[in-house]
Amino acid sequence: MPIATARTDVLPRPETEGATLTETPYVLIVWNDPVNLMSYVSFVFRSHFGYSEAKANALMLEVHHQGRSVVSTGTREKIEADVAAMHGYGLWATFQRADQA
Amino acid sequence: MAKAFKNTRRGITCELEKAERDLLRGLFQDIVTLLEPERAADEDPLWALVGMDPNADAEHFPVPRDRAELRLLPDAVRDDADASLEFRRLTERGLRERKVGGLRAAALAVETSPLLLSPQAAAQFAAALNDVRLVLAERLGLETEDDAERIHDIDDWSRADTVEEYLALVYNFVTWLQESLMQALLQTL
Repeated sequence: MPIATARTDVLPRPETEGATLTETPYVLIVWNDPVNLMSYVSFVFRSHFGYSEAKANALMLEVHHQGRSVVSTGTREKIEADVAAMHGYGLWATFQRADQA
Repeated sequence: MAKAFKNTRRGITCELEKAERDLLRGLFQDIVTLLEPERAADEDPLWALVGMDPNADAEHFPVPRDRAELRLLPDAVRDDADASLEFRRLTERGLRERKVGGLRAAALAVETSPLLLSPQAAAQFAAALNDVRLVLAERLGLETEDDAERIHDIDDWSRADTVEEYLALVYNFVTWLQESLMQALLQTL
């Protein structure tokens, strides 16, 4: 049985390949709420993202004082997984394109 | 009265009185009831196993109407109902299953006294306490820092006459317990 081989004209074009390499970055935003404890939010940032105590506390304080903070940046797939994890912890998290944050 | 959580060589431990353990178990179970996904009698158990929803592609995928339930399963995209719904279709069932699993484990953990938790189990227990607080806060109408202070000031069990005062006392107890657990857990990092 003959096996079809890929012809050069059906291979992906360079510009489409370029588009997937420079995927639009997404951000995870955590919003302030009066219920979640500061110690808990800081613990979640340290244990889930592996952030240092200083970085986790700075982000937690930004959430507390500014009302929100961009806590992580990455591909859409990664950020969606982070949002689901934050919801698992009960934090108020959303995601959006980095250029719209 | 309960003693604060402690980080020891054997694990994270806490001594609770019988009445406190009964109270916590009841709260965990209430939230399991709130979150447990409805399951069709003929549903393939594989769906539950992989945390996916057999109704994910259904034309009408219901968004939680209860405010406390919505607080536990919030929208993932701000000001975009369609994108949030799409995310719900793909992830909400799994989130419900994970939360129910954690709350059941927490209900089981308070059966023994003193409580003894590994750091991993303690993190799960903290998330279960947090879910309890989110639901109580919603029922108490706790939305601002001022509300939080007003509720924090209710601290006299002998003068709790109304359901709201009782809920506030329960909320404050669970808050105290979670804060003491966080101090012990932070020592393990």
